[in-house]
Amino acid sequence: MKATQEKSEKAQKLIDRMGEKLNRQMAGSLLACVHCGMCTDSCHYVLANPGDPTYAPAYKADRIRKIFKRHFDWTGRVLPKWVGAATVNTDEDLEELKDIVFGKCTNCRRCTINCPMGVDYATFNRMARGLLVSVGVMPEGVAVVSKDQWETGNQMGVLKEDYLDTLDWMEEELQEELEDPTLKIPVDVPDCDVVYSINPREVKYDPRSIADAAKIFHAAGESWTMPSEGWDMTNFGLFSGDDDLGGSVAGRLFESVEELRGKKLVISECGHGYRSTRCEGPNWAKSDVPFEMESSVNTMLRYIKEGRIKVDKTRNPEPVTFHDSCNNARSCGLFEEPRELLNLVCMDFREMYPNRAENYCCTGGGGAMSMSEYTPQRLKSGITKANQLKETAADFVVTSCHNCVDGLADVIRHYEVGMKVTQLVNLVANALVIEKKVAVPVETPVAPEVVEEVPVPVGVGAEGEELPLAGRRILVADDEPDQLDFISAVLEDNGAEIIRATTGDEVLELARKEKPDVLTLDLHMPGRDVGEVFDLIRKDPELGDLKICIITGKPELRRLIYERSVRPPEGYVDKPVDEKRLLVNVKKVLEVVHQDA
Amino acid sequence: MHEMSDLLRVIHTLHWYALAFMGLVYVIRINWFVKRFKAGGERQAATGIPGRTTPKKGILYSWGNVAMPWSMESSRTRPFFYLQFVAFHLGVTAAILLLFIIPLGPGLLENEAVVLALRIPIGAAFLVGLGRMVRRFGDKYMRAISSPDDYFSLILLTVWFFFAFLAVPNSTANGEWHLIGYFLIATFFLAYVPFSKISHYLYYPFTRYYIGKSLGHRGVFPILRGPARG
Repeated sequence: MKATQEKSEKAQKLIDRMGEKLNRQMAGSLLACVHCGMCTDSCHYVLANPGDPTYAPAYKADRIRKIFKRHFDWTGRVLPKWVGAATVNTDEDLEELKDIVFGKCTNCRRCTINCPMGVDYATFNRMARGLLVSVGVMPEGVAVVSKDQWETGNQMGVLKEDYLDTLDWMEEELQEELEDPTLKIPVDVPDCDVVYSINPREVKYDPRSIADAAKIFHAAGESWTMPSEGWDMTNFGLFSGDDDLGGSVAGRLFESVEELRGKKLVISECGHGYRSTRCEGPNWAKSDVPFEMESSVNTMLRYIKEGRIKVDKTRNPEPVTFHDSCNNARSCGLFEEPRELLNLVCMDFREMYPNRAENYCCTGGGGAMSMSEYTPQRLKSGITKANQLKETAADFVVTSCHNCVDGLADVIRHYEVGMKVTQLVNLVANALVIEKKVAVPVETPVAPEVVEEVPVPVGVGAEGEELPLAGRRILVADDEPDQLDFISAVLEDNGAEIIRATTGDEVLELARKEKPDVLTLDLHMPGRDVGEVFDLIRKDPELGDLKICIITGKPELRRLIYERSVRPPEGYVDKPVDEKRLLVNVKKVLEVVHQDA
Repeated sequence: MHEMSDLLRVIHTLHWYALAFMGLVYVIRINWFVKRFKAGGERQAATGIPGRTTPKKGILYSWGNVAMPWSMESSRTRPFFYLQFVAFHLGVTAAILLLFIIPLGPGLLENEAVVLALRIPIGAAFLVGLGRMVRRFGDKYMRAISSPDDYFSLILLTVWFFFAFLAVPNSTANGEWHLIGYFLIATFFLAYVPFSKISHYLYYPFTRYYIGKSLGHRGVFPILRGPARG
């Protein structure tokens, strides 16, 4: 392609903006590559696609480098073909570049640490993403999530009332679990020692992790709060390369901590959230942060070391392994603390190899989970991770990253690894030893007898107590017989009347005929498209009261539901489903009251 | 020692001009690089285990990485490839030294140990060059990432090693053609280097400095590896 050929407006803008974006680190990386090929085998995409050099980091990097050379390095201006310089002219050229920088790289930085020249491909790949985003060329999922984060302040479009409602719900659950009606999940309390920020995924799909963190703060006697605004510590700007979005999101969080006069911002377990808040945030927001920031991993470890919480590792007897998030390990140096913590709360921790900064990506990094068009190649690239996991023979893989939770869950399911994914907060909460409250009779003339209150598990109940789902009719839809049986059994044991469906058509038919209270809906079933089924149910005036809880093992299918113009589902549960989470979510779904109802 | 022919004398002189030209272009290049591109800074407090890493430690580790094959998986798992890298670059150093020894201190080459000390790395580098040509032309991955400059630079260096190997004793007993070849290629080479990938060493200190500084600040460099597979 000749540089003189007339360019599309977008192509010209991309080149102009590249000139503004380049800094010395990036320019050095673009100039220094000697095409030695040492980085090739460090990339999980390469390992999963033998014989296809287009996945090689140096090859991918050259798609960006050629533009740099053609327009900014005079060797490429004088002898473009000789040094491999070329330009982009058309919107199709930009689409091709998009498929490389978004679809063939998770910005995991593994090639960077394996480059003898110190070429930081991940950094200029992110720059290229940002340039494309700035001219409107990006995967659909990136556009949707970025828009959500710009408009609502969080990347999953969680409304403030839903967020606060979830905190209330978790507070009630904890009060019930610990039999302590004074236990609070404090919101907007000024002058606390800790302001806790979370990932919106926790509100939407994993509220139990919020409850677990609250339980730990409570046990530690921490002075803490959560902000009602600016609570999202994730930052899609890291993935999209949009520094303006990155600065805006980080700035909102920093402002909320300052407004509350918090002393320390604790960031829940999330690799990209930690990196973008703790490391990149001040740079993007161009402001110095006047308070401390730390990962909740450090916080939990500190509580144990300081004796503020007690843990009993025998409560986590299963073999566990640890997956280092790329952002934590390769960009923030957070890899020893989670191991120290694991050894304190688990009986059998075993390493996976390679590990720490040399670990392989979960395949869900760089925002890959939101780019469903690249899902097949993402899953294919997961073979290396699947083999790493299998080799450990552990029952659980622990990770301090929500993206990794989804990425690993996908890999485990796709390659039938037979492992569950969990986070440190769940293990610490499970191992937590909480002194039971002692009820002391007041104004008694005799010596008081100490009575220990015994917690009553939800759903089991004392004799004669009504089961939590008694009288409820639940339509359970899943095409996997094991899942169908399991979900049905859990709900039935808790008093619900179960109706079963295994195809999309059956769901529609039974929903109309049986009028259940709740529908638990698997997103991947044969027959009629489940997104369409969901849409038809929502638009059916006779099914206006039907509450829907999505249960899926394919997080990338969320968009089938959430991007529709109808009311979103009332609940969401990731597979693999566990009994406690299922029950908590179904109960919560039943409690939802719609304003238009 | 030998008496130089007029042709060789001219080439000798040319080679000094070429060296000056290379130096001038490098000054311009570095000036462009430093002035055109601002260094990005980091505002955030350091991460990682306190004290284990610092920007300074990161920079030193990053610069020293070339001499620590265990530091990167890519070199740790390919010891033979790393040895080739060492041999190749020692050969380059020896061949460059020869450029100065012949005109400025030819007496040194009367010492057989010096001759041997130059010939061994240059000869080894020549063999590595041949091996690298096979790899670059034969390997699908290498072809995909190679530009004409990559092929040409490798061929140029390998041919130069060949002539340098013959030129080491600085003997004209069998004619001057090998010395002419060595100096002629070196002259061309010096003028060509600033425009080619061979000038990577100019940027190497910068790239490694910045990645070392950043990852040192972030608790990553020096890389900490866990216990070996049990």
